[in-house]
Amino acid sequence: MADIQLFINDTEVTAKAGDTILAAAKEAGIEIPTLCYDESVKVYGACGLCLVEAEGVPKLLRACSSKVSKGMRVSTQTPRVEKARRIALELLMGAHQGDCLGPCTLNCPAGTDAQGYVKKISEGDFHGAIEIIKEKLPLPASIGRVCPHPCETVCRRKLVEEPISIAFLKAFAADEDLKENTYRAVAHAATGKKVAIIGGGPAGLTAAYFLRLEGHSVTIFDAMPKMGGMLRYGIPEYRLPKAVLDREIEEIVQYGVELKNNVRIGSDITLSQLQADFDAVLIAIGAWKSMPMGVDGEELSGVIPGIELLRRVALGEKPAIGKRVAVCGGGNTAMDACRTAVRLGAEEVYVVYRRTRAEMPAEQIEIEEAMEEGVTFKFLTNPAEIIGEDGKVKEIKLQVMELGAPDASGRRSPVPVEGCFETLPVDSVIMAIGQKVDITGMDGVETNKRGILAADERSFRTNLPNVFAVGDATNRGASIAIAAIGEANKAARVIDGFLMGMEIPYRAPIVSEQTLTEENFKDRDKMPRAKMPCRSPEERKHDFCEINLGFSKEAVMEEAKRCLSCGCHDYHDCKLIYYADKYGIDTKRMAGENERHEKEQKLLCIERDQNKCVLCNLCVRVCDEVAQKGILGLVGRGFQTVIRPEFNTAQTIECCKNCMKCVQACPTGALKML
Amino acid sequence: MRIAVGQGSCGIAAGAGKVYDALSKLLPKEKLGITGCIGMCFLEPIVDIYEEDRLVARLVHVAEADAEKIAEALKTNDLSLVENLKISKEDESFLTKQTRIALRHCGIINPMDMEDYIKVGGYGALSKVLTTMSPEDVIETIKISGLAGRGGAGFPTWFKWNAARNATGDKKYLICNADEGDPGAFMDRAVIESDPHNLIEGMLIAAYAIGAQEAVVYVRAEYPLAILRLENAIKEARENGFLGDHILRSGFSCDMRIKAGAGAFVCGEETALIESLEGSRGMPRLKPPFPANAGYWQEPSNINNVETFANVAWIIENGGEAFAAMGTEDSKGTKVFALTGKIARGGLVEIPMGMTLRSVIYEIGGGIRDGGTFKAVQMGGPSGGCIPEALLDTVIDYKKLGATGAIMGSGGMVVMDEHTCMVNMAKFFLDFTTNESCGKCVHCRIGTKRMSEILNRITHGEGKDGDIELLEELCMAIKDGALCGLGQTAPNPVLTTLRYFRNEYEAHINDKKCPAKECTALISYRIDENKCKGCTLCAKRCPVGAIFGEVKAPHSIDASACIKCGQCASVCRFGAVVTE
Repeated sequence: MADIQLFINDTEVTAKAGDTILAAAKEAGIEIPTLCYDESVKVYGACGLCLVEAEGVPKLLRACSSKVSKGMRVSTQTPRVEKARRIALELLMGAHQGDCLGPCTLNCPAGTDAQGYVKKISEGDFHGAIEIIKEKLPLPASIGRVCPHPCETVCRRKLVEEPISIAFLKAFAADEDLKENTYRAVAHAATGKKVAIIGGGPAGLTAAYFLRLEGHSVTIFDAMPKMGGMLRYGIPEYRLPKAVLDREIEEIVQYGVELKNNVRIGSDITLSQLQADFDAVLIAIGAWKSMPMGVDGEELSGVIPGIELLRRVALGEKPAIGKRVAVCGGGNTAMDACRTAVRLGAEEVYVVYRRTRAEMPAEQIEIEEAMEEGVTFKFLTNPAEIIGEDGKVKEIKLQVMELGAPDASGRRSPVPVEGCFETLPVDSVIMAIGQKVDITGMDGVETNKRGILAADERSFRTNLPNVFAVGDATNRGASIAIAAIGEANKAARVIDGFLMGMEIPYRAPIVSEQTLTEENFKDRDKMPRAKMPCRSPEERKHDFCEINLGFSKEAVMEEAKRCLSCGCHDYHDCKLIYYADKYGIDTKRMAGENERHEKEQKLLCIERDQNKCVLCNLCVRVCDEVAQKGILGLVGRGFQTVIRPEFNTAQTIECCKNCMKCVQACPTGALKML
Repeated sequence: MRIAVGQGSCGIAAGAGKVYDALSKLLPKEKLGITGCIGMCFLEPIVDIYEEDRLVARLVHVAEADAEKIAEALKTNDLSLVENLKISKEDESFLTKQTRIALRHCGIINPMDMEDYIKVGGYGALSKVLTTMSPEDVIETIKISGLAGRGGAGFPTWFKWNAARNATGDKKYLICNADEGDPGAFMDRAVIESDPHNLIEGMLIAAYAIGAQEAVVYVRAEYPLAILRLENAIKEARENGFLGDHILRSGFSCDMRIKAGAGAFVCGEETALIESLEGSRGMPRLKPPFPANAGYWQEPSNINNVETFANVAWIIENGGEAFAAMGTEDSKGTKVFALTGKIARGGLVEIPMGMTLRSVIYEIGGGIRDGGTFKAVQMGGPSGGCIPEALLDTVIDYKKLGATGAIMGSGGMVVMDEHTCMVNMAKFFLDFTTNESCGKCVHCRIGTKRMSEILNRITHGEGKDGDIELLEELCMAIKDGALCGLGQTAPNPVLTTLRYFRNEYEAHINDKKCPAKECTALISYRIDENKCKGCTLCAKRCPVGAIFGEVKAPHSIDASACIKCGQCASVCRFGAVVTE
C-alpha cells in the first residue's frame, strides 16, 4: 500500500493507506488509550477511549476504526478528547466492582501489600515475603510486634470468623529473615545529594532507608543515645525486645546511613545550619511531651508523665514509683505504663479512665493482658485533684462520671456525676492522656493552631524551602508508628524527586472497593485464627522479657492460608487502573446502582467475575475469531448485558480447551486462570 | 352499495373485528369488505359505505350493536338510518387538511386484495420503470424529488441508492427497515397493514435502481398483522409476476422475503439491523464502512424506511418535480406524523413539509383534549426533543426542527398539556433508551443508566445541587462518545427539556416541588372541606382505605396511608380533592 503523510499532534507522520489512526499513532510512538482493541481480532469500537479529534470533522473519531487520509490533522490530546476519555473512564470505574487492592493494603497507612506477603508466607517463602514488605516498611520485625494493625481491623476474613493474624505473620517472616541470609535491597549509585534527617524513630529510619536506596547520602540526628525513637523509648521491652530493634536498625545502617546520636537541634546544631549543610532536611522528631491533665496537684513529686516513665525504664533506670500507682488514661501508653508499673514492683495499680471499657482506645489484647496481670480498672472516673503531703503524692481524688450524649467522634461523652467523688491512696500518679510535640529547635518552621508543625499532606513540604516534615510532629499530631512510616516512605519519594529536580507529589492509587456482608461468605469453611502463645501472667509480670512466645513455622503457614485474597490478581497489569491513574479520574463521580454478580467457574480452569467486566468483548471475540471456538457470548441488553459461556452445558466445557486466550486478552481482572 | 370496515391494528383494538363479524352475519359477502387504517384513531371503529367507488358515508365509533342498523341501511338504500353515526364536519377536517402520498391508499383499498391496488393504478410505476427508465433515470428522478430518509436521519435517498448502485459486489441487497420502535410512532405499521403493495412496488423500484436481486423487509415481530398482510401481498405479487424472475417479462429479477425482528429498538439502526438479519446479536457496527459498500453479508446493501419506499411509486408516476413542488427549500414532499398524547384528534397525519406545528396540532389535531393548555410537543421520540409553546410556529422542515433541539425523526408527535411534568417526560424517554441500549459502547450503556438514575432521583424529590450540571455533562459526553445514533441522540429529551423547562428541574431539586403535579413523591392530596359534599365516592374508590368521613359530611385523607394514586381526585364530582 502507498505511504501517506498526515499530522498527529502537529508532527508529520507517515502511514500506509488503509491504516487506522490508532495504528499510525502507535507506529509514530504516540499512545492512544484503548481497552477493547486488539490486533488479533476485528475492530469493535466499544470502549470509547481511543476518541481523537481530526481537523474539519465535527464529531470525535474512534482511532481504532477511522482510517488515515492524506494531509489529515489529528489531535490525540485536546481538552475535548481528554474530557470524553475521562468520562468514559469514570463511567467504567463507577460500574466496576471489586477490590483492586485488598482492604488490608488499603487500610495500612504505609500501604504494605499484606495480601502479597501473606500469600508468600502461606507458601513458606519468607524471603519473598520480606521482599514485598520492605518495599514499604524497613522495620517489619519491630512493627509486626507492636502495630495495632489497621490491616486486621478491616480484614474481610472477619466476615467468615476472625481476621488473619497479619501483624504476627509479618514479624515471623522478618525474624526468619534476620536469622540468616538476610534480604538485601539493591541501592542506586551515589547521587552526591545529602539529606539530614532529624529524629531516628520509625519515620526517620524509614526515610533514611528509602533515600539511601535511591543513592543519596543520609545522616540521622537524634537527641537520644540510641536510634529507634518511640519504638525504643516508648514501647516496653516485654512487647518489643530491643535486641530485635537493634538488628533491624543495623540492617538499615549497613546500607551506609550515618547516625549522630545525642545531638539536639537548636542547642548542638541549628536547623538553619542543617539547611545549609544538606540538600534537604526531613523533620521526624515525633511527639515526646506528655499532655498535662490540668488538675490541682500536678506539680507534686510522684506525678510522672507516662512516656517519661517508659523512657526512663528503657534507659535502664528503675524509677521509684511506690507500691500504689494510679495511671490516668485509656490509650496504649496508659497500658504500657500500668504494665510497666506492675513490673517495677507496684502492688496496687489502677487505671483511671473517664469512659467505659468499650470506649477505650487501647488495644483489646493490651487491656486483657493488663487485667490478667492484676491491674484494676477504675472506669467512669476522672482525676479531680492530686492531694499531696510534704510535696509528695498522697492520694488522688476521682470525679465519678457517667456517659452522656455521643460526641463528634461517635463516642458517648463522659459527664461528671455531681458531688460524687472517690479517693484512692496512691504513691504516684502516671499521666498518660496524650502526647505533645516539642518544637524546640525547629526555628522558622510554621506550626498549626495546635502548635504542631505544619507540612503539606501530599508533598510533606514545610514553609522552609528544603525542609520536609513527617510523622507525629506534624499536622494531626501523634498517631501510630505505621502511620509515620507510611508518611516517611511517601516523603522519601517526594524528596528524591525534589533532589533530582522533579516535583513528584504523592498520589493515592486509584482503587474501588465493595460492601460485602457475612452472607457473601456463608459457604466458607470456618478456620479459627491462630492464637499467639504467650507466657502466663504470673510468670511474665515479674520481668520485662517478651510476652509472646511466637508461632511455629507450620502455624504461620496455616494461618496465612486463611487469606481470602480480596485484592485483584490483575492489579499490576490492569489497563483500566492504568488509564484511570494516568488520567487521574475520580472513581466515584459516576457511581450509581450496579448489578451484583457471583463469580463463576463454569469453564473449569477459568474464573469469571462479571463485576469487573468492562464489556470490551475481547474474550468473546478472541474465543470466536482466534481460538475459533465461540464459546462465550453476550447475554441481555443495555446495562444488564453480561458475558456468559454459551448454553452452559457440558459440551461447552468440553469445547473449551483452556487455551487461556480470553484470560490473556482481558484488560481487567474479570477473567482469572485457576 | 357496499361497505368497508377499517381493519388496521388500531381499529381492531377499538372493536372493528367484532363489528365486522356482526356485519358478516347480516350482509352477503360481496357487500362487505375490509380496508386498512385511515389514520383517524380517535374515531375507530370506522365503517365506510361506498356507492360503486364513491364514498357516500363514513360511520364512526361504530359498535357491534350498530350492525343491524347499518345492514338495514344498506338493504334499504336509506342512509338516514345511520345518520347519527356519520362523521362530523369538524372531524372530517382532520383528513381534508392533509396531503396524502405515502398514505394515499390507506383506509381506501383492501390490503388483502391486489386487485384493489391494481385498480388505483398499482404497479404502474414499476411497469413504467422497467419499460422506459434506466436505473440512472430512476435515481435522477428521486434526486429531483428531494426525497430524504423518513426513518429519522433525513439522509438524501438518491445518494444512498447511487452509492449502492456504484458499489461493487457479488450480490446486492435491498432492505426495508420496518423495525418501527419509537414510542408513539406507528406510520410504518399503518402503511404495511393498509397498503402493502405500495411498499413492495417502492422497494422493487429501488432494487431495480441499485441492482439488487434480493429484498428483505425487516419487520418487528410485535406487528403480526403487518407481517400477515405483507406475506399475503408478497405471495400475490409473486403469483402475478411482480416478484421473482423476469418481473413483468423484463430482464429484472428480484425476490422478497420478510424477516421478523425480535423487538430490539436498536435494530432500527441500520448496521444493528444488518447484524440481526445475519443472525447475530443486534449491535451496531462501526461506520465506515457504510452498508452501501459492505452491508448484509458484507455485500453492497441499501436500507430505507417503510415510509420512504411508500413515496417512491408516486414520485415515479408523478415525476420528481411534483414531489419537490411541495415543502420547503430544505425539505421536500410530505411527512407522516403520528399525532398522540393530550390531543383532541389523535392519529396519522400526512402533511406537506413547511406546515407549522401549530397548524398540525390545532387545525388538524383540534388542539388540546379536554380544554387543557398546550405545554410542549415531543418530536422524534426518544431521539428527539420537546418544543415549547413559544416555538409552535416553527415550520416542519429538517433544518428548522433541528434548530429547536428536536428532530423530525420518524414522525412521533406527542402533545403534552400542563399536567405533564417535563422532568418525568425526559425520565420516561431516558428509561426507554437505557433499556434499549444494546450494551456495546460505554457512553450509552453506562451513561444513559446514570442519567436515568439522576432523573429518577430528581423526580423522587432527592435531587441534589449539581445534578443539572452533571446531567448536562453526561449529555454532551454521550453525544460525543456513543457509537451509534441511539446513544448519540439519547440525551436530546433531557437537553431540550433543560433548554426550555429548566425551571421545572430547579423546582424539583431546590423546592422539592413538581410544578405539573405529576411526580407522586412530590405531591399530596387534600380534601377541601368547603367543597366536599360527603358523597363517599372517593372513600369507596380509594384502594388503600385512606379516606375517612361520615356520609354527607366532609371527608379527609390520611396522608400517611395515601399512596397518591389520584383516583379520589379523578372521581370527585365537586372538585373537592386538591393536589398540592
